[in-house]
Amino acid sequence: MLVWILFLLCQVGAPALAQDLCQRDAPNGYKVRISLKTALGEDAYEWNQSEMFFFQATMAFAMRRHFQMETYNVDNIILCVQTSRVSFWFVVTSPDNTTMLIPKADVEKAVRMSRHRINNAFLLSDRTLEFLGIYPTLAAPVNPDTPPWLIVFGVVIGAVCVGIIALLISSLLQKRRKEKGMTEDGQDEEDMQVKGVENGINLDGTYNRGFTDDDRFTKL
Amino acid sequence: MGKDAARAEWDNPMQFVLACVSYAVGLGNVWRFPYLCQMHGGGGFLIPYLLMLVLLGVPLFYMELAIGQKMRLGSIGAWRAINPYLGGVGLASVVTSMYLCLYYNVINAWSFWYLFHSFQSILPWAECPVNSNLTGHVEECERATPTQYFFYRETLDISGSIEENGGIHMGQALCLLLAWMIVYLFIVKGVKSTGKVVYFTATFPYLVLIIYLIRGVTLHGSINGVKYMFTPKMEQLANPTTWINAATQIFFSLGLGFGSLIAFASYNQYNNNFEKQAIVVSMVNSSTSIFASIVTFSIYGFKATFNYESCLERVRLLLLNTFDLAEDTISLENVIHWIAELNRTHPEQFTSLGGRLETCDLEAELDTAVEGTGLAFIVYSEAIKNMPVSQLWSVLYFIMLLLLGMGSMLGNVIAVITPLSDLKFISRYMSTKTLNGLVCLFCLLLGLGFTTRSGNYWFTMFNDYGATFSLLFIVLIEVITVCYIYGIKRFEKDVEDMLGHRLNCYWKIMLAGVSPILLIALFIFYIVNYIQGGTPTYQAWNKELGKSVVTEYPPYAQAFIGLLLASSVCCIPLTALYTYCKKRNLASGKRERTVSTVSA
Repeated sequence: MLVWILFLLCQVGAPALAQDLCQRDAPNGYKVRISLKTALGEDAYEWNQSEMFFFQATMAFAMRRHFQMETYNVDNIILCVQTSRVSFWFVVTSPDNTTMLIPKADVEKAVRMSRHRINNAFLLSDRTLEFLGIYPTLAAPVNPDTPPWLIVFGVVIGAVCVGIIALLISSLLQKRRKEKGMTEDGQDEEDMQVKGVENGINLDGTYNRGFTDDDRFTKL
Repeated sequence: MGKDAARAEWDNPMQFVLACVSYAVGLGNVWRFPYLCQMHGGGGFLIPYLLMLVLLGVPLFYMELAIGQKMRLGSIGAWRAINPYLGGVGLASVVTSMYLCLYYNVINAWSFWYLFHSFQSILPWAECPVNSNLTGHVEECERATPTQYFFYRETLDISGSIEENGGIHMGQALCLLLAWMIVYLFIVKGVKSTGKVVYFTATFPYLVLIIYLIRGVTLHGSINGVKYMFTPKMEQLANPTTWINAATQIFFSLGLGFGSLIAFASYNQYNNNFEKQAIVVSMVNSSTSIFASIVTFSIYGFKATFNYESCLERVRLLLLNTFDLAEDTISLENVIHWIAELNRTHPEQFTSLGGRLETCDLEAELDTAVEGTGLAFIVYSEAIKNMPVSQLWSVLYFIMLLLLGMGSMLGNVIAVITPLSDLKFISRYMSTKTLNGLVCLFCLLLGLGFTTRSGNYWFTMFNDYGATFSLLFIVLIEVITVCYIYGIKRFEKDVEDMLGHRLNCYWKIMLAGVSPILLIALFIFYIVNYIQGGTPTYQAWNKELGKSVVTEYPPYAQAFIGLLLASSVCCIPLTALYTYCKKRNLASGKRERTVSTVSA
């Protein structure tokens, strides 16, 4: 009889004890916040007791993975203070002694280790499944050997160099061709250089050197 | 035998018009005019702007083209031909253009830097980089915004003040080298190469602007910006600053006084109809300003709406998290309503929110008016990073900035090279290609000073003081010279000689009467403003605060500002004095010779 009464008390007391362990702002607990509509929009699933059980199972898995020796179970993860935001507090009890809580630091290490798995289990991300107090590690920046901008720069400056050299060489060749043309007929050079302009029309005549004023000042 | 080789010419008049358009339509149309529009009452600003165009802009533009086409020489030779004592006007123009060349290409270097960095999957100014131990973002970036961080830290690596010099930023130096090489490529063969390039630099920016216009007006929230811009606030017209800013904008936008227009026109055929071209180019320039401001304001509207909605989203999340309400109770539309509601029902919890609750105001977002490099590189890139396919829009935008900048650079460099190549002692010893190369190399080496860590502060100094005051003085002297010293009658005869018909009264009244008066008024205003302004200040980037702080220039920098102003303005009186002394020596020398022959 006494044993039966004690058993009943344990059944009633255990959850009450659990409630004492898990409360808002518990020293060894974490607040979890879930934003289903932000993450999934139309495909958001409903957050119900089954999902809560899934969360307990995932956390137990994370604890097992981190510690590797002890056997955690869903009963070791105690949840409380649920709100319609979908946020709640949880604490983790030790599998050997259900009144003893695992310290905050160890829980954090376990969560950090399996964060990616926990996120994927719920189809959420670091931003939509928040453990308040555990900051996600940001992705390391990708540092390529040559910065990409230098590659584009190299291409453009190469093209410009080629353009400048081509222009300079073409004008050099043009000058050489003109010089060769000149040595054949020395008269042409002076005739070609001057084009008379009259009323805006280019005249292609030859310059009549009879009227050049060679001697502006007649010598005395 | 005293004949020179025929002067190079544009292949056809269209090249000349496009060159002028390419020169006049520059970065100022994109980043200064929209700012002025916003500051001075939106649509109402168009009234003083267009009035100043008619009274000041078009007549002075016409005058410069006439001088260049008549004299067929660069600015130094042209002004010396008009009046030997005032050859200094041309020299002052060349000095001012030289200052402009030095710092203007740095903007093109920045555009190249941003363009090359747009070829990445995530734009580098979209997110803050992570810090060394991967726990969060770099502090300076957290305090400022990612776009500001990218501009001030990664692009400029700016120091805290103008006194703290640093090394040269290698990336910037490379981009500046590229910019100068491209300028050389465009001018290496003189107007023959420039004439072909301007077909592209004058027309392609319009294509990009149209594409951006279509993209801009289809963005969510752009209509807020356009509405904000065009709602006229007529009371601004009573403010004299509005009229002064309109006149200044017309004046600098058309690029008067630098000698570029004279240089361009000197390659024209003698009978080219520059009257029609002057009106066309001025109209095109002003309409481009208005068109560009529509684009700018639709982008502003998008950015302001985006920021406003992000602010509302943050407030919504804050309320949801603090009061633990279900996610779909508060939506973006009823955030404001819920704030009042929660304040009423849970006052203590509401006050515990304290400073974290932001006030979101669309008007305040639209009111943040920015101009200059801040607009082009910070505000615009912030808007671009939020667009879908942002890499494409980024590339297009920076190509447009480059074309606008390069087009203006062509005019600036030609304004320096044409007078130099007209000088006999230079044209005898080196070819045009060598001269062009030397000028580009010289400007590149001096321009490297702007790529140092404090380079941006020197850049701002040159931008604010290098060309503003001196130009007003130069153009004032130009107008007075042409109308009163050379004589409006002689000018009229020259124009009739070139065009075949006389100057009608509009040109005569404007050139001889209205424009000089307006210029003198502007000049007096600048002097009064400068005296009243006290010590000149600049915006220094403060690393700890993550924003710009107003700082005074140190004494040696103020002295340098004085030197900048004096060096171009003093050319005019000094050259006049030099010519006077030379003439007096020549006269007394001749007298001595005649005396000696008679006595002999």
